[in-house]
Amino acid sequence: MAATRRRNLTTAVTLFAVVGGMVGLAFASVPLYRLFCQVTGYGGTPVIETAALAAATAGAPMVTVRFDANVNGALPWRFRPAQAELTVPVGEETLAFYTARNDSEVAVTGTATFNVTPYKAGPYFNKVQCFCFTEQRLEPGEEVSMAVSFFVDPEILKDTNTTDVKTITLSYTFFRASDQDGAQTADAPDGAGGKG
Amino acid sequence: MANGASDAAHHAHDHKPTGLGRWLYSTNHKDIGTMYIVLSIIAAVVGGAMSGMIRLELAEPGIQYIEDFQFYNVLVTAHGFIMVFFVVMPGLIGGFGNWIVPLMIGAPDMAFPRMNNISFWLLAAALVLMVMAGLTGSGPGTGWTVYPPLSNADFHSDAAVDFGILSLHLAGASSVLGAINFITTILNMRATGMTLHRMPLFVWSILVTAFLLLLAIPVLAGALTMLLTDRNFGTAFFSPEGGGDPILWQHLFWFFGHPEVYIMVLPAFGVISQIVSTFSRKPVFGYLGMAYAMIAIGFIGFIVWAHHMNAVGLDVNTRAYFVAATMVIAVPTGVKIFSWIATMWGGSLRFDTPMLWALGFIFLFVVGGVTGVVLANAGADMAFHDTYYVVAHFHYVLSIAAVFAMFAGFYYWIGKMSGRQYPEGLGKLHFWITFIGVNVMFFPQHFLGMAGMPRRIPDYPDAYAGWNMVSSIGAAITMVGTLLFFIVLFRTLGAGRKVEANPWGEGATTLEWAVPSPAPFHTHEDTPNVEAQPAE
Repeated sequence: MAATRRRNLTTAVTLFAVVGGMVGLAFASVPLYRLFCQVTGYGGTPVIETAALAAATAGAPMVTVRFDANVNGALPWRFRPAQAELTVPVGEETLAFYTARNDSEVAVTGTATFNVTPYKAGPYFNKVQCFCFTEQRLEPGEEVSMAVSFFVDPEILKDTNTTDVKTITLSYTFFRASDQDGAQTADAPDGAGGKG
Repeated sequence: MANGASDAAHHAHDHKPTGLGRWLYSTNHKDIGTMYIVLSIIAAVVGGAMSGMIRLELAEPGIQYIEDFQFYNVLVTAHGFIMVFFVVMPGLIGGFGNWIVPLMIGAPDMAFPRMNNISFWLLAAALVLMVMAGLTGSGPGTGWTVYPPLSNADFHSDAAVDFGILSLHLAGASSVLGAINFITTILNMRATGMTLHRMPLFVWSILVTAFLLLLAIPVLAGALTMLLTDRNFGTAFFSPEGGGDPILWQHLFWFFGHPEVYIMVLPAFGVISQIVSTFSRKPVFGYLGMAYAMIAIGFIGFIVWAHHMNAVGLDVNTRAYFVAATMVIAVPTGVKIFSWIATMWGGSLRFDTPMLWALGFIFLFVVGGVTGVVLANAGADMAFHDTYYVVAHFHYVLSIAAVFAMFAGFYYWIGKMSGRQYPEGLGKLHFWITFIGVNVMFFPQHFLGMAGMPRRIPDYPDAYAGWNMVSSIGAAITMVGTLLFFIVLFRTLGAGRKVEANPWGEGATTLEWAVPSPAPFHTHEDTPNVEAQPAE
């Protein structure tokens, strides 16, 4: 009987450890999920590239990048792209602009999520600099121009799945940041909200 | 059985506690099993009454009875929670599992009897919290899937959803403790000579189910905790304004939710295997295949979760994977269905009430399985998503097939549990009325879903009126069947025929039939030896 008792306790302790591990895994899934999207470009998550590419090769094929802007209802901002679309050579770093204006009477901090469609273009869409990497704070009535610098990785031309991609849509949605006094502009990319 | 005599000798000093203490402090697997079954029956009456109200409102187009739409949402939500967590799981796992598993493997009790007690009472507390959720503020109107943003503090600002979350936490803790108890008992306390490959299939089914609980419930607990802190403490796991993502909830929920459907149906498979074998008077055909099919279903059940999320914008390659993986489940499930049929083939069949329910289960599960294969196709599912076709599908496999297995188990084992046999004629009448009722209720919902009727909405266009009325009539027939069940229950307990140890004859070979009926308070105090028995 004592032997059974000891064996039972060993089994139970092991099983409790499994339960603890699964709870840990559930919480680990939060950063892992974000990381997974960023690394694989899953669900149209663009790649964040800190080092810009060299110049594009001459005569590179062109790709059209369309710009989309959305504002969550809780954020009293106007937010729109300065240009509807740009046709750029594949591999060339390009600068595009959005404008945002705070229509309210108080300073508000916003944060933007982003992705690209078609999703399969995500791994090839590289962002070098983006206003979406940090939270943005706008004073009452303030209007700012916000820049995003990106390039389309020439590898996209070699992937048979993406040969039909001639247009990539880059989409942003601005939300009211949960943390209203945490406005800073100099932080390293913290991957605010890569979507899966 | 050799230990029959020693059981009888023990009766003289069989310290059976009496009064309320016997139940409150119970550490006896049979008493705890009985309490689980009673809780399951009570919860089934509540959950069934809710579905009755839903079908009453849906009988005709327009709004007849339920003018508060949030109340309708609460009904739908509570019906789902109660049926899943407080009817099917306690009935099949807590009830039959506790009662029968130690008897079948020749163990004197569960490995941790006190933990068994707290498993039950945690579940009872969870039920109280769930009722409190329903009575707080405007109630939880989130659906059983509790998707944010609907379930966040913006849209459910009172404490109802918090009560619901805490209720699920307690129910989950109860299930995890129960699962650890079952696994330990089954791995360490089997009769001499009962290797894993000689365990009855019901024990196999509970073992696999317990592992699924062990791996799936903690993920739900984690996700619920995140939702709780999102709602109350300003975290942003699921809100994009803080860098979170509501889709993450769906991934976590369904990583639990899909194994959960197998948690509900695997024990049913186990019950049906025992009954089909008993009433065919043959060992189960392809025993090892049956056991490993359950393991395969359990394993694949963990890697198909996103087929519930085809509409969230997964890319086509991901959906292709989940379509293929989902279809693969049809293979081990098919192995089980064909093995049951092969067990009956050439058997000396007897169509007693438990066998009728078992055959009903097989039929209903096949119907629900076929629509499951239809829904597995992401392309078709984009159209069927959130329609009554899905409602019909999961009610066929879970609500009615699993409940049929519960009734089958009830009729099969009630003699062993109570010492009194059910009235055969009434039992068969109960079967036929229920079988007709549930099919009249749920089959037309396929047509409604194909025609595009969305779920979780109390009103609908006139075009859907006909089949909705038929469905509601089916609900009324089913309710008559349920009333009949209570008549059967009271007739059995009050005036049932005293039953011998094994009322089913040579087909019933498992160890629970070797102990007297009703099973004494303490059984298998000397570990039985089954080495002499032929392997299945």
